[in-house]
Amino acid sequence: MLFRLENLSHRYSDGTLAVDNVSLSFAKGERIAMLGTNGSGKTTLLHHLNGILRPTSGRVYFEDKALAYDSKSLLDLRRRVGFVFQDPNDQLFAPTVKQDVAFGPLNLGLPADKVKEVVVEALRTVGMAESAEKPPHFLSLGQKKRVALAGVLAMQPETIIMDEPTSNLDPRATSEILHLLLQLNKEKGITLVLATHDVDMVPLFANRLYILNRGRLVSEGTPKETFSNTELIRKVNLRSPRITHLFEVLKKENNIPIDEELPLTISEARKEILKLLDMENMPKQERDTAT
Amino acid sequence: MLLISVMSPTPVVPIIAFLTSTILLLYFARIPYRFYLKLLWYPIIIIAITCVIIALFFGYQEPLTEINLLGLRWTVFKDGITLGFNTFFRVAGGLSTQFFLVLTTPMTSILLILRKARIPLVLIETSLLIYRYIFVFIEVMETMHTAQELRLGYSSLIKRLRSTSLLIANLFIRTLEQGERTFTAMNARGYDGNIRILEDLPKPRKAALAGIALFDALLVALAFIIMNVRIV
Repeated sequence: MLFRLENLSHRYSDGTLAVDNVSLSFAKGERIAMLGTNGSGKTTLLHHLNGILRPTSGRVYFEDKALAYDSKSLLDLRRRVGFVFQDPNDQLFAPTVKQDVAFGPLNLGLPADKVKEVVVEALRTVGMAESAEKPPHFLSLGQKKRVALAGVLAMQPETIIMDEPTSNLDPRATSEILHLLLQLNKEKGITLVLATHDVDMVPLFANRLYILNRGRLVSEGTPKETFSNTELIRKVNLRSPRITHLFEVLKKENNIPIDEELPLTISEARKEILKLLDMENMPKQERDTAT
Repeated sequence: MLLISVMSPTPVVPIIAFLTSTILLLYFARIPYRFYLKLLWYPIIIIAITCVIIALFFGYQEPLTEINLLGLRWTVFKDGITLGFNTFFRVAGGLSTQFFLVLTTPMTSILLILRKARIPLVLIETSLLIYRYIFVFIEVMETMHTAQELRLGYSSLIKRLRSTSLLIANLFIRTLEQGERTFTAMNARGYDGNIRILEDLPKPRKAALAGIALFDALLVALAFIIMNVRIV
């Protein structure tokens, strides 16, 4: 297992118990989504994965070894596990895009030539190569998010954690980020861990879905399994993807014969609809062939 | 050029400095002249007023003339006028050379040069962060200001004062929070107390360097030669 959390709890100094006894684990190459309402503890939980926060109780295992918090182990962990923050303004601090992306690799002690190489490569991957010399305040939010991702990519991590990668983005920027992430997972085998409350995005992205509610882990499984438990989804103040909801209503209110597993994405819905249309056409076709 | 023009005892050298940087900016760096005028306008007005005051109120040798000021007789001195003129042109020369630096040189290059000049790292790193977050906070301030204005926070003098103080207090808290979050984010990318900057300054051409040195030397020489030329 790449990561294993064992009875992890985190209590902030003001007394809030943000993460409450969470145990979970996932493997290399997975695409994980953490779903939960605002304040459900997603961000706090993720901050444990690269040592930004230390658990109040419980343990974090990375590649079956408990995390150590001395500066050398942390540097090694942070090279391998990159963290992209929700607000890119928190992350982009340098006067130019290029300088910002170079920050991580320089901290790893790479020589200047190598740094320039990885910076160019990372900016190209996220499609921001032309803006290398621009100051971050000239960029749009979507562009800033991509630069923030480049800043992490330049450290060549094996796992990327992103906190709300698509929040406040327009539809186009959202789908660009999503495709970029899927491509990184597919081509470079980068493990992805995303915190989000964008339920429509989850089935497009994740192969494993965790749901957090008030700091507790309330559900674990594939998006399909999880979203078919509509009662739970509602109880934790989330909702199903719009498409799924539509099919649920059609099934319940109109008694349309739909599978137990409701479609989650547009492509699944398309298949389901075509199947239903076929069923209707079937008798007619049979009649036609009979005559 | 800044030093020379600020320290020059006559207005001639700063005028040359002013013209040179203005020409360089407008024709070579292609700064729109409206923008340049706007930049110069306010400081020049303030300096002009200051320098008139200096000209009228300073000096103690060679009375030039007496003016009637609200029934008071006021003596204006020659050296006061000279000082006023000098100050005005020195500042104008200094301003234009500063604008030249600010408008043409990217922040990273300035920081790299400062580092080469062995300025303490703390100062350089602080200015790097300040430079970036000034823009973030200008945005935050504008948003908060608009939000206050929309809820009529600036509709009377008292409200205006109150809103402004709230704005400043909140902005201050925001800077502290931002600092905390930026620190966390930097840590997540392996920050160890030193901000490393990627060095990739283009090597200055020898001819250009020599040209700059020659020009500055000429200015210094000129300043010495015409040291005794007075306007009045």
